[in-house]
Amino acid sequence: MGLVNLFYKNPEDRHPFFDQIEKLYKNKTGMAGLILITIFIVVAALAPWLSPYDPIENSLYDQLKPPVFLEGGTMKNILGTDDLGRDILSRLIHGARVSLAVGLVSVGIAFIFGSFLGAIAGFFKGWLDQLIMRIMDIILAFPHILLAIVIVAYAGPGLRNAMIAIGIINIPRFARIVRASVLEEYEKDYVLAARAVGASNGRIIFNAIFPNCLAPIIVQASLGFGAAILDAAGLSFLGLGAQPPMAEWGAMIAMGRSMILRAWWVMTFPGVAIFLGVLGFNLLGDGLRDALDPRLRD
Amino acid sequence: MSDNKYLMEMKGLKTYFKVRGGVVKAVDDVSLNLKPGQTLGLVGESGCGKSVTASTIMGLIPSPPGEVAGGEIIFEGRDLLKLPESKMKKIRGNKISMIFQEPMTSLNPVFTVGDQVGEVLRLHRRLSRKETRDQVVEAFKMVGIPAPESRIKDYPHQMSGGMRQRVMIAMALACRPRLMIADEPTTALDVTIQAQIIDLMNKLKEEIGAAILFITHDLGVIAEISQHVAVMYAGKVMEYTDVNRMFAEPKHPYTVGLLSSIPVMGRTHPGNRLTTIKGVVPSLFSLPKGCLFSDRCSDAFEECHKTQPPLVDLGNNHTVRCLKYV
Repeated sequence: MGLVNLFYKNPEDRHPFFDQIEKLYKNKTGMAGLILITIFIVVAALAPWLSPYDPIENSLYDQLKPPVFLEGGTMKNILGTDDLGRDILSRLIHGARVSLAVGLVSVGIAFIFGSFLGAIAGFFKGWLDQLIMRIMDIILAFPHILLAIVIVAYAGPGLRNAMIAIGIINIPRFARIVRASVLEEYEKDYVLAARAVGASNGRIIFNAIFPNCLAPIIVQASLGFGAAILDAAGLSFLGLGAQPPMAEWGAMIAMGRSMILRAWWVMTFPGVAIFLGVLGFNLLGDGLRDALDPRLRD
Repeated sequence: MSDNKYLMEMKGLKTYFKVRGGVVKAVDDVSLNLKPGQTLGLVGESGCGKSVTASTIMGLIPSPPGEVAGGEIIFEGRDLLKLPESKMKKIRGNKISMIFQEPMTSLNPVFTVGDQVGEVLRLHRRLSRKETRDQVVEAFKMVGIPAPESRIKDYPHQMSGGMRQRVMIAMALACRPRLMIADEPTTALDVTIQAQIIDLMNKLKEEIGAAILFITHDLGVIAEISQHVAVMYAGKVMEYTDVNRMFAEPKHPYTVGLLSSIPVMGRTHPGNRLTTIKGVVPSLFSLPKGCLFSDRCSDAFEECHKTQPPLVDLGNNHTVRCLKYV
């Protein structure tokens, strides 16, 4: 927009990155997603300063206090308390940290391994491609949450193992996307030109081809972030992820579900938090897809 | 280096492609020689094996399906075909470089042009960042890109076709190669830019003393740039001579046909048909038994359809593959 144009008299001279930012800026739902995620990240980063109470501190006198807008609610616990008297707002704010960490670690694992495997499969083709992609197909053939449960059950419950499991089950998605992009880019003349100046295979794959495949992977990473948060919440709900007393959104829902009739707020607010977090990443992912896909250029 | 020492000697090169339905002899028994400072033009129709010849020198034949079935390419005393890939890597871009036909797609869209020219230097020279940058600017100056200091920060999409081809040439000469292979470098450009690029290549050849193997199907370009010409047809060299002789007294009926197919301004009138060579290039799957050109040749006699003509030496470094001169 205006701000970006300030630095360049001629729009032709801008880095395409600015065009993409501008397109994202014009995309209302994408911006909504970006705003949600920004709030999410700020809350996670500033959790200790934002939250009114310690998220795991019990208070036996304040059990199941309703939120402020219900009868009996007070400003002391804006979103009420759970059955151990812990402040729900504080737990939600700290839960954002956990979810962000889950997203970063699992998408990071999937991104690094998936891109690497996909890139070498697409570049070398032949038996290596067959081997890698058939293993990916096998992983994809399992219902992914089931596979995550198997991995966590084997490695032992806990947030760390849950993150690794979610990372592993997402590797094939990245591998497939990268492989498809690499196959397409491989045919382009600049790859031949890179060969003709004496570049090695590794350099051609990761230095010349890979940067050209980034757009679809960035979109997948953004969507994957939301999915990873949801999966982690699911695993925690099943008792395989975050362990009590850690403030994790999925675990909070699991704990509150027995009280849904007496105290609906205990499980509803974490549900809303998950919903908004995942929605934010999905909206941003869609917005990025529109902004980065050159075929959709206007 | 003495005057008659060859920079590159290609002897009986055979590059075949094994595909379903048979073996395609894309390059069959091609011998070419290049002296330092010389430009050799390689002309022929699409699919006659010009580009495959170039790729074979660079060691860039996709294998499978391609394979070098015979011959040798002696470059600075070493047979390129016998060098391991690790040695070839050090030669590519360094001693032998290549300029491609499509400047629009031969540059990587996500890097600045300066980075891409610098990449060649990074691969072959140990230089500091500053030295690399200086050499890139120097290379840009040599190829006549105005304001090189700011242009090195441009991305390929910000440049015109002619400018991008200059960048490709800068990339090719960055390491001061001994041999530059130009694979139809002017085909994708409009005529005025073509002339500029040809002048530029002639000038640069003098400056860095390299030899050029210039591949084209444009005889006008050949006349401008090269001293010697090899005319290729269906994977074989049909005629080899110096450029003046080819235009003045072409011997092979195919060369004669090619030359008479060029429309000459003022001599071709509306309504007159352009001269053409009748027929089409034979399929590389089912080549004629005798001379490859016999089916289309207006001078062909009975023997032409039966025996493959040898290369006939007419003296004065002029050879022709035609039974007429046996």
